Amino acid sequence: MEEKKHTQNEEHLIRGMMQGAKLKASDNLKYRIMQQIETEQALTPSKISDRKESGNILKEFGSIFGTMYGVLAVMIAATYFLFGQEYLFSPQFLGTVILVASVFSLLWLISRLDSHLQRKKKIENK
Amino acid sequence: MNENQRVQQVLSGNSSAFAYFVETYQDMAITIAYRICGNMQDAEDVVQESYVKAYKNLHSFRSESKFSTWLYRIIYNTAVTQTKTQIWTDSGEMQAESTLFPVDNSLQVDMEETERKEMVANILQKMPKGDALLLTLYYMEENPVKEIAKITGLNDSNVKVKLFRARKIFKELWVKRYKEALFMEET
Repeated sequence: MEEKKHTQNEEHLIRGMMQGAKLKASDNLKYRIMQQIETEQALTPSKISDRKESGNILKEFGSIFGTMYGVLAVMIAATYFLFGQEYLFSPQFLGTVILVASVFSLLWLISRLDSHLQRKKKIENK
Repeated sequence: MNENQRVQQVLSGNSSAFAYFVETYQDMAITIAYRICGNMQDAEDVVQESYVKAYKNLHSFRSESKFSTWLYRIIYNTAVTQTKTQIWTDSGEMQAESTLFPVDNSLQVDMEETERKEMVANILQKMPKGDALLLTLYYMEENPVKEIAKITGLNDSNVKVKLFRARKIFKELWVKRYKEALFMEET
């Protein structure tokens, strides 16, 4: 009985001693932690948007040039059936193909320029 | 607002809500890291790294356990990895006999609070790291054995045995230091 009481007293005493020995974190630790978290968080979405951005470029590229090749295929097929195989190698037809390809390339260039300007504007607004 | 709601707040993108967890647990976090690292500079680095890890892996926190236990486990693992030390050493040379703790009133009255704090800190410093850590977790934070087992990765009975031994070593060192202090005062 007495031994139990002694043990309880001991426990109580050690607890009291230990409670006072808790260390105090320095004043700037919380600031350091939060700053690192904020920085890492700020970096994470930009990584995602970068990935998104490259995805958009490919999508845009695919859709514009896909359409171009589609148009060229239709043009070649129509020319072949209407004017025959010889006309496909004529300078007039080749000129038309180059014109169509140039128009689509210009279109792609304009869309790239537009998205670049928009991104620049977004960064400036931030 | 309870801790689970705060966790949800952080997960929904409000990173500043995480400041609550830093504010609430940073003192205990630094105490745990200090027990393992042995110096304040490394302990602060460990705590910072652990909090960032906790923030990044908050989605893996299961609300059925206590946030503090989960966080202290991260701190423990980070500190052990960083210091590359074996904290559960066999302290055979420090085997304490059944020491009777001087629980008389004179002990508490005679000693100044700051003096006592200093002495406790000194004793914990002298103890094996693992034992000092167990006493810290058990008495400072009043963590039950189960929680300590989760934090340290030991099993319940192992924690109990080590805790018993740590308590004995602490008592022995305390009595020794207390006698020394009395002797110094007398001379």
